[in-house]
Amino acid sequence: MTLKEKLEILADSAKYDASCSSSGSARKNKNGIGNGSISGICHSFSSDGRCISLLKILMTNCCIFDCKYCINRRSNQVSRAIFTPEEIASITINFYKRNYIEGLFLSSGILKSPDYTMEKMIETIALLRNKYHFNGYIHAKAIPGASEYLIQKLGLLVDRLSANIELPTENGLTLLAPDKNASKVTDIMNFVKKKKSKIFTPAGQSTQMIIGATNETDLEILSKSSNLYQNYQLKRVFYSAYIAVNKDKNLPSMKMPPLKRENRLYQADWLLRYYNFKVEDLLEKENPNFNVLLDPKADWALRHLEEFPKEINKASYYDLVKVPGIGPTSAKKIISSRRFFTIHFNDLKKMGISLKRAKYFILCDGKYFANIACFQQGFITKNLILEETETKKERTTQLSLFYEGK
Amino acid sequence: MKESNFIYLYNGTWEDLLKLIFWLLKEKRKPLQIMEEIKYENNLLSSPFKPVIDPKILTFKKNISKEVLKISYYVFLSSEKEKELIIYYFLLNSLKYQKEVIYMRNLKCVNKALAVSKRVSREAHKWKGFLRFKEMQNQFFYAEFNADNNILGILANHFTKRLPKENWVIKDEGRDILCIYDQTRLYFLEGKDIQLDLNLNTKEKNTEELWKSFFKTIAIKERENRKCQQNFMPKKYWQNILEMEGEK
Repeated sequence: MTLKEKLEILADSAKYDASCSSSGSARKNKNGIGNGSISGICHSFSSDGRCISLLKILMTNCCIFDCKYCINRRSNQVSRAIFTPEEIASITINFYKRNYIEGLFLSSGILKSPDYTMEKMIETIALLRNKYHFNGYIHAKAIPGASEYLIQKLGLLVDRLSANIELPTENGLTLLAPDKNASKVTDIMNFVKKKKSKIFTPAGQSTQMIIGATNETDLEILSKSSNLYQNYQLKRVFYSAYIAVNKDKNLPSMKMPPLKRENRLYQADWLLRYYNFKVEDLLEKENPNFNVLLDPKADWALRHLEEFPKEINKASYYDLVKVPGIGPTSAKKIISSRRFFTIHFNDLKKMGISLKRAKYFILCDGKYFANIACFQQGFITKNLILEETETKKERTTQLSLFYEGK
Repeated sequence: MKESNFIYLYNGTWEDLLKLIFWLLKEKRKPLQIMEEIKYENNLLSSPFKPVIDPKILTFKKNISKEVLKISYYVFLSSEKEKELIIYYFLLNSLKYQKEVIYMRNLKCVNKALAVSKRVSREAHKWKGFLRFKEMQNQFFYAEFNADNNILGILANHFTKRLPKENWVIKDEGRDILCIYDQTRLYFLEGKDIQLDLNLNTKEKNTEELWKSFFKTIAIKERENRKCQQNFMPKKYWQNILEMEGEK
């Protein structure tokens, strides 16, 4: 098998992992090659519009597990390959020198045992760090069930570690991944959380959930995320719209991955992390799934019109970020500027703050953008939905996917 | 001729522009126009003026915050018309508001300076990702790019930290300027001053093929979204991005 054929097999089996971010680590170049860039750098964009920042590959797609949703399950008849540590290191270095990538994302199917697999991964990454003196970004998957001393070793070599929770409920996991055990994943998270420091996974940990393979509601998924953020201080939860690669009686048959749903979950996820929203603000038992037509914040705002319109010159930071169309960057700009002058609508424009959606929910120096009689649910809903269908550039999906806050 | 008709000239460098602006601020002169001397064409309505300035005037820098200076420098790197005046008025206001000038977005010149500087840093950021080196026969890496703003220096700085133990050359094709790094220091040259042997290393095509096949493989066909790809990586970059060559 040629190196190119191997790379094709092992990149193809790695592509379903959503995470490709390279942010959060400012690793310095110590007398070698490469360094971290705190805000991350996208080096290319694949034809699905996703950012390519890291060489995302599996060490091997051989696996002793038989997870029903996974292309690499033991019982699938697919071409299998294994990279040697030297092969991975040399491709990484060759790509890095040409500025194709920010670094390496290494995951793996499970060979023989979790410990054996982890040892091979550690060998590969140690080779990069110690022999090639590579200081670029490395994200590695921890293998559930591996011994703590191996996770400790790996954590000291990489910028980010992650372990995929895959499905939001234990039931889902039992149904589709009978060999996996949620507590083994959370054990890793717990360990990483305790050990995290400037030298141990400086860019923190993340995880991924598959969306739409089982019948959990958005409320269940988001509650799980919120729980993970609180309990394990994760940097990110990634959501990956389920793509039917295998046939199984327990799997839904769908032609298109649920991308809109994935998008809504990302939007809601940001509201939890940067906007001080709680899951129960966004969804409730009677209404456990997101509105397809409106983003979660606009949907929330329209259900709470009594809190609006907010006066731009007085509202607190957390009140400002509740306004649809105003995020942390805009809110900070507003707060730092209004100490010096009274902000009017045209000042917001000058600051580069988009009024498209925000204008319905704010007052500037006591003034509404139109006749205040327009401030009513029907009018605003209609305009926001119109706005969303018009600007169907899907930029937001991708932005929230791949640009990571610090 | 009246002072108000003066066109103030500088030699095109950042240092010379700063000297001129500091001098104008000290003399309390409000320039109508500031221009690179090579761009100046004689006309009857204006008169060129290039004051003799003591280089010590640069110590005036200490009155200006680092962030304000950085923003001004990025404006200087831009291709914005009348960027010199934008910087002049931005610095003038920074004397009044000090480092808090960056919050005075209701002032046109402040707003303009911030917007232009942001544009420059965004373009530089894009190119930090999109630049593609090729390994040449003579043991050096070579990359070409085309940009609206003069970001060669920013890129050179970035790669000096990143690839300190390689020899590399980066060329801004449009401006025909190059930066050469020899593992010790940077040299900036004009295209006409140097003839490079641009023969590819024999193994280079293999590595390029490896990358192109990775690029194709990593895309999920069920999620294909060319429009989104193009939003993030607009066509104007494609001619310099290896994996996009030949794409339409």
